[in-house]
Amino acid sequence: MVKIEHKRAHFLVHLGNFKFEHTIEPRYWRNPLIAIAFLFILPALIAGRADMLSLLTTANIYALIAIPLAWQMVGIGRMNFGPQFFLAIGGFTASLLSIHFHWGPWQTLPCVLVMGLIFGLLLSPFSTLAKGLYFSLITLVLPLIFLEITFVYTDIFKGETGLSGVAPLIQTGSIRMDYVVGAYMSLVLMLIFLLIVDKVLRSRFGIYAAAINDDEDVARGLGLNINKWKFICFTITSMMVTMAGWFAAHYYGNFAGITYLPLSFMLKVLLMVMIGGRGEIYGSIIGAYFVALLEKALTFLGPINYVVFPLILLILLFSLPEGLYGLYRRHKYKEYYPTIKVRNR
Amino acid sequence: MLDTLQIILIYTFIFGSLYLLVTLGFTIICGVLRIFNLGYGITFLIAVYGVWIFTKELGFGLIPAILGMIILQCAFTLGVIYFPIVKRYAEKEELLLTSLLLVALIVEQAINYQYPVTAGVNIPTTIIPGSIKIGLTTIPIQMLVVAGIAIITTIAVLLFLLKTKIGLVIRAVSQDSESSQLMGANVNVVYAIAMILAVIPPTIAILTIAPVWSIDPQLGGPLLQIAILVSILGGLGNIKGTIMAAYIVGFVASAVAFLINPKLMNLAILVLVLIVLMFKPQGIARSESLW
Amino acid sequence: MLLSLENVTKKFGGVVANNNISFSVEKGEIVGLIGPNGAGKTTVMNIISGTFKPDAGKIVFDGKDITSLPPDKICQTGIARTYQIPRPFPDLTALANACVGVLCGKKRHAMSYGDAMLDASHYLEFVGLFGKRNTLARDLTLFELRGLELARALATTPKLIMIDEVMAGLNPGEARKAIRLIERIIDEYHVTILWIEHVMKVIMEATDRVVVLHYGAKIAEGKPKEVANDPVVIEAYLGEKYA
Repeated sequence: MVKIEHKRAHFLVHLGNFKFEHTIEPRYWRNPLIAIAFLFILPALIAGRADMLSLLTTANIYALIAIPLAWQMVGIGRMNFGPQFFLAIGGFTASLLSIHFHWGPWQTLPCVLVMGLIFGLLLSPFSTLAKGLYFSLITLVLPLIFLEITFVYTDIFKGETGLSGVAPLIQTGSIRMDYVVGAYMSLVLMLIFLLIVDKVLRSRFGIYAAAINDDEDVARGLGLNINKWKFICFTITSMMVTMAGWFAAHYYGNFAGITYLPLSFMLKVLLMVMIGGRGEIYGSIIGAYFVALLEKALTFLGPINYVVFPLILLILLFSLPEGLYGLYRRHKYKEYYPTIKVRNR
Repeated sequence: MLDTLQIILIYTFIFGSLYLLVTLGFTIICGVLRIFNLGYGITFLIAVYGVWIFTKELGFGLIPAILGMIILQCAFTLGVIYFPIVKRYAEKEELLLTSLLLVALIVEQAINYQYPVTAGVNIPTTIIPGSIKIGLTTIPIQMLVVAGIAIITTIAVLLFLLKTKIGLVIRAVSQDSESSQLMGANVNVVYAIAMILAVIPPTIAILTIAPVWSIDPQLGGPLLQIAILVSILGGLGNIKGTIMAAYIVGFVASAVAFLINPKLMNLAILVLVLIVLMFKPQGIARSESLW
Repeated sequence: MLLSLENVTKKFGGVVANNNISFSVEKGEIVGLIGPNGAGKTTVMNIISGTFKPDAGKIVFDGKDITSLPPDKICQTGIARTYQIPRPFPDLTALANACVGVLCGKKRHAMSYGDAMLDASHYLEFVGLFGKRNTLARDLTLFELRGLELARALATTPKLIMIDEVMAGLNPGEARKAIRLIERIIDEYHVTILWIEHVMKVIMEATDRVVVLHYGAKIAEGKPKEVANDPVVIEAYLGEKYA
């Protein structure tokens, strides 16, 4: 029996044994709506500057990786040192299919999602079987293996130079419009990811993730099926990161393993989540934007920016215990502040 | 067939001893401090580039340069790694591992900026030049020297840990730091001593292998991978296991290099790490202590 | 017969923690499980709740064999437990802690997230923690944590609650409150209780039947007064001289 009620600001869906209710509270949405409105106007304002639009899109792509990563690390209670493995799977699948079969981006998308699903399912048993530190090491090693494979099988993966000639996302005829539309697409995709993860973490699944993160054995004793929820969390977040790889491959038109697989990129992504505010979703977006801006701003220093960039990140990591998000809003006492445990001994 | 086997055995001995020396420091840190030092690659970089700076920029001779580099090594380990990072984040492991990786990246990029690959860094520490022909292959004698030095260093470290009073305290702290504190051991001093002790084997390793190995700022990464593999295969923090695991990994590396394809050697090591991590993360040794 | 253990044996390496233990618990009873330290009482509890699997023996609950089920399935059949050293979820509020119990326990009909919070607050109010529902669990006192453990266990609507040394560390005033709380739980929710305890006064007063373990084996079973006068039990606790 389906029953849908709507009273003023309260929304209720009653479907057999399943019940979902939602209250719309405008005062909590004010700040996020202002930020979203600003982000939507931004590409139109800077439509002339292609480099700024590219920077915005890069920042959004970083955010596309950071948002699911923040969810994953809380939801499986382990630290993932290799999110770029799934990024590379998505990117390489999209690039190879596009180059060899001349498929457009919307045709490669289903294949990319399927590949993400397959690898996510293959690797998710280790999120339950491997103890915390060993899981982190497994995820650390996987992208390095992928990188070696791109060098060894150079004819397929073009290890040194990377694949190029990937079909672009959108072709409007005018290069300027291409950049603007690309920026808007990345923005919309990022907001979709944000909406999904935010809704999930505010619902009962967020409580499950918090319980798994805090004390797995006790949660299991209370009737929570740990394995099922960890599998689901890991697989879905891996698929989301794979989609980020798909977007990056089609937007830039090329995809090189050497850009995305080494440890330096991993540290960049990890620090986006950690500096932004460990585990906070909005914090990871702020972290992603900050890192993208910092990277761009430091290029004027010349080759020494490769040293200064991680140095600044290290200083921020030390000095901001609550991340950049903590500067914006003092951590409220009763909010769940996840701690990611590496060793589950 | 027999010749290939002979070559593989010789290289197993050489690689195995080298990997043992490289991993010894990592095992000591892992066993005593119970942390995973992902910044281990820095030790190698400071060793090589420290000597280079002392000889080229400051014009020291080789031996004073090595002494100066050792002082620099200890200062860096205590001043940058031990006090700010390890002591602050001993409980929060995600921050610990991330900051160690970050420091390793910063040092690597700084050295890359100052002395890129093309700078032609070389360390003239050849003890016995020339090469020797064993069976069908020609090996630089330096490599045999390295293998010999590796074994001597391992025996020296073991004698230190087994026969001296400080070694006994270190072993006690590695098994149970709280009980050792109750017995009066100053755990912080022991940790500092262990970190300095852990710096010595990799320094010796990279200095003696420098003439026959390519020196570039990225050499920390592969050596760290080897250290991780050997220490996990041998059981984290256990020297007996490390010794066994080093020769097993040496065997796999040389077998892959000579029987299949030398380009696959690094990949084979990585795949071996993955398999060990997935299916037998406790490693081969049984005990939870340093020896 | 609600719960019955048949010849349960569990070894850890060379140590025999449980040696051929058999006893049963009827519906509505309060059974005490006592014994000197190291007798294997918490191991029995861990085996029943599914954390360990016994080397030999069978556990039958409500007509079903639950020996090989994982802990979450065992909770769904109606067994809940508390922990000797309280193990709440430290970063969640007390309300969220109880909410986990509500959401993950037995299947409920039409429970949305808001309803679960409401239900959880009822359990907290029953235990007396409603005022502290928004405090993080790591900031609660020991007595409140014990109450939270009970609330969380109750929230999974169990048929059997296993209580592990709830009196340890409480002063006499708090101990009285705890006993009254457990009596109210039995009156209100009609659960069966298996109670590990060291404090003899509580066992004598509050339980219907007592099972005594010693070095992993069951040495006595019966009404509290009989067991207290049994020479085997006296020898186990006080030594041969007093037997």
